[in-house]
Amino acid sequence: MNRQLATTNTKVIVGLVIAVAIIVGIFAVVRLDVTGKTGSGLGSEFVYDIEGVGQIDPNLILYEQALLPIETGFSNAYAVAVDSEGSIYVAGDSSIRVFTENGDSFGEIELAGTPRCLALAADGSIYVGMRSRVEHYNAQSERLASWPDLGGKAVLASIAVSKKGEVFVADAGNRIVLRYDTEGRLLGAIGAKDTDRNIPGFVIPSPYFDLAMAEDGLLRVVNPGMHRIEAYTPNGDLEFSWGRFGMAVDGFCGCCNPVNFAILEDGSFVTCEKGLKRVKIYDPEGSFVGVVAGPEQLGHTGPLKICMLPTDCQAGGFDVAVDPSGRILVLDTVRNVVRVFTRIKKEL
Amino acid sequence: MQNGKNDISRRRLLRDGLWGACLVGTAGAGSFVAGRGKKDNTVWQIDPETCVACGNCATYCVLEESAVKCVHAYEVCGYCEICFGYFGPEPVNINEGAENQVCPTGAIKRTFVEEPYYEYTVDESLCNGCGKCVKGCNAFGNGSLHLQVRHDRCLNCNECSIAAACPSGAYKRVPADKPYLLKRAGHA
Repeated sequence: MNRQLATTNTKVIVGLVIAVAIIVGIFAVVRLDVTGKTGSGLGSEFVYDIEGVGQIDPNLILYEQALLPIETGFSNAYAVAVDSEGSIYVAGDSSIRVFTENGDSFGEIELAGTPRCLALAADGSIYVGMRSRVEHYNAQSERLASWPDLGGKAVLASIAVSKKGEVFVADAGNRIVLRYDTEGRLLGAIGAKDTDRNIPGFVIPSPYFDLAMAEDGLLRVVNPGMHRIEAYTPNGDLEFSWGRFGMAVDGFCGCCNPVNFAILEDGSFVTCEKGLKRVKIYDPEGSFVGVVAGPEQLGHTGPLKICMLPTDCQAGGFDVAVDPSGRILVLDTVRNVVRVFTRIKKEL
Repeated sequence: MQNGKNDISRRRLLRDGLWGACLVGTAGAGSFVAGRGKKDNTVWQIDPETCVACGNCATYCVLEESAVKCVHAYEVCGYCEICFGYFGPEPVNINEGAENQVCPTGAIKRTFVEEPYYEYTVDESLCNGCGKCVKGCNAFGNGSLHLQVRHDRCLNCNECSIAAACPSGAYKRVPADKPYLLKRAGHA
């Protein structure tokens, strides 16, 4: 009887020890601080706080998200463009995926490498910027040409096609814009530092260097380190510029912004900033108009934070495009989705 | 009697317990020897790709002044005029005034190179490894500022208290003949 009791007690004790061990284990896992939010014990002067500048006044927001984000299916998406029919082209990994305006996938163009940027011409042909060369595809997704490689220092960041059919390529590595004809023949270079022509040169600390051709025939090029957008003639004369540094909502924040931009039908600009992720509207003269989306609308939940891991931070340069109906498409390069925004207010 | 054969006798319990203790002891001794050998060939270092610059390095090191310091990968740096590893999130002016700087200890120096480029250097004697500049540089710039364990200071404790407190698992052992995990340029 005593032996049976002792055996039973042993089982109970072993069971209790195991139960306590499991509870302690679960508690330890739950309490594990994987983001450092419990703090280091340092004073507030050691905390990097952007709460104050990251909040967007809701009254400044002119747009809302129209539909669920379009899943691109890419691990690394880089660029978005829209054709005259409203079809959405997204470049990433080693292909270009095509979606309807509602986000349904209906085509894919396989590429030999990783695309960094793309542009769609009026005739339906597609110019794709790889790291150091341009590839040209026709509307049937057949490769027409691969232009000469620009060398190891080149980092192609953006392409634009004018109505005349000229192709402008932004090379962030060499800090210059190259002008080509449709056959890939080099016609000239734009933006090299030239004090005699009053050209300051491009300041490009990170591989974001966007450009677009405006309806007025002038090429708009971001000079991110100078926090402005510059207007050049196709021959490379600097006509004017606008934009300034500022953490407030009407300025461009950080070391080097905007990272990307698009032009609306009325000549207004849609700009994307990294660091403090903001998509904003400026009128054709460069005056602040309003906000498309702030950090909260671009995927942040809970308290506003800057990115955690360096890889997330460096992937934070969102691309933007405008479709024929005036919708703004923002490519979230962290979550690899396209967010579609429609206007809800005409003005502030 | 039949049941009694299956019961644990004191002698059997003692014998099995002793046998188990011997096994555990042997395994422990083996691990200790292996650990000593490993310690001799490895040192602690921070993986900059997984470091979240939480600030624990400044406070958890057993040294009064942490062995962790901010280092600068110049080949990654953009030499920006407005560097957010140097300036706070809301600088009053873009100049070297203390009120504009992000570093609470003034450990980062800003030097004019040519218009509009500036060089940023870390005075390690002032740096406490808090990582505040690293957060700003990662978020707004190229992430050239990053934290590293300085081996002229680190005691290479077997049970490093910073490693135990590191929330992202960035603290790890690396070969002693390659003791640093410095960032390299990978433009685009």
